[in-house]
Amino acid sequence: MRLEGYPKDVTLRDGASVSIRPIEPDDGEALAGFYRELPEEDRLFLREDVTRPEWPEEFIRSVDFDRVFSLLAEHQDRVVGNATLYRSRHGWSAHVAEIRIAVARPFQHHGLGTALASQLVLHATSLGLEKIVAHVVDNQVSAKRAFEKLGFHKDAVLRGHVKDIRGVTRDLVVMSNDVSHLWEAMAALMADYSPTMGE
Amino acid sequence: MPKTEIRVGGLGGQGVILCGQIIGRAAAIYSGKHATMIQSFGPEARGSACSAQVIISDEEIGYPYVTKPDILIVMSVDAYAQFAPQLKPGGMLLFENELITVDGKLPAGARALGTPATRFAEEIGRRLVLNIVMVGFFAGTTGLLEFGAVERAVRDSVPRGTEDLNLRALRKGYEYGLEVVAAKA
Repeated sequence: MRLEGYPKDVTLRDGASVSIRPIEPDDGEALAGFYRELPEEDRLFLREDVTRPEWPEEFIRSVDFDRVFSLLAEHQDRVVGNATLYRSRHGWSAHVAEIRIAVARPFQHHGLGTALASQLVLHATSLGLEKIVAHVVDNQVSAKRAFEKLGFHKDAVLRGHVKDIRGVTRDLVVMSNDVSHLWEAMAALMADYSPTMGE
Repeated sequence: MPKTEIRVGGLGGQGVILCGQIIGRAAAIYSGKHATMIQSFGPEARGSACSAQVIISDEEIGYPYVTKPDILIVMSVDAYAQFAPQLKPGGMLLFENELITVDGKLPAGARALGTPATRFAEEIGRRLVLNIVMVGFFAGTTGLLEFGAVERAVRDSVPRGTEDLNLRALRKGYEYGLEVVAAKA
């Protein structure tokens, strides 16, 4: 499936050029290579064990552009970032999506995470979602700042929720971006009513 | 293009007026036609009967009221019951076919083409955009306006950040409209 607007070329703050595109069925090996090269410390904060040999294929099979939408960032034909939007089509949080992002160390702090998150926020809005959440460990200052730039704010703090590679307990911050105002504006436009009627 | 009279009818909150505005904007701004629109709605913000009268023409329009529409777009049972008898003989009815059942109210020779616009809007992600699906269906079935002109009118008319979903709704209605016309040919 080819989505309009992709691949999207992005120039990072250090001048490096990165191409962002939706993940494709034959990206399994490249994705596995990317996650293998991530330092263990970075992999610790991921929800799944991405080093399992079966994981890349399982993950790619789950991508359906509706419930799971995943982007790859490539630099010189190597995957340097992966960002995924997860949503549920059922239940009381069907209006909410979650963003998860992983960026290769040499590309961190250069704006790649922001660029990937920005694409996912746009995609979430285009799906009609109202709220987007991201989980960030309390000491990931630049990640928090990147999300704040995109309109996210601290929604909740789960005290002592994660342990880093040295066994240090840290807080997990739930950040959220409420984009429901966009749809409130659309609903207002469709009210078929004039507040000045009769004046 | 000969003078074409269009009436859009539905309930307040379905975006009836916006539907008329987009058609008028696509004609007047992006197709070089003349267009007029008259809107009417009840005192309630939502749920009251509501309609828009749109005329598009190559010539200047001297009288902006629609008396016998060539095209009637309806999104509610009440709007169908009220406006269907006014349709011009040989005119075209475009209706939401999971909300409205077409009966004997239509004049002789009228064509009725339906679309499950609400379901399409829900599948796309927002029930709210059923009116945009109807605009696309209008463009696909009538061929009165180029799709690109309608697309630009939608882009201009909806809030920033909602364009993609609205344009997908428009395209869904348009493509379904083309299919319906092809199937009836």
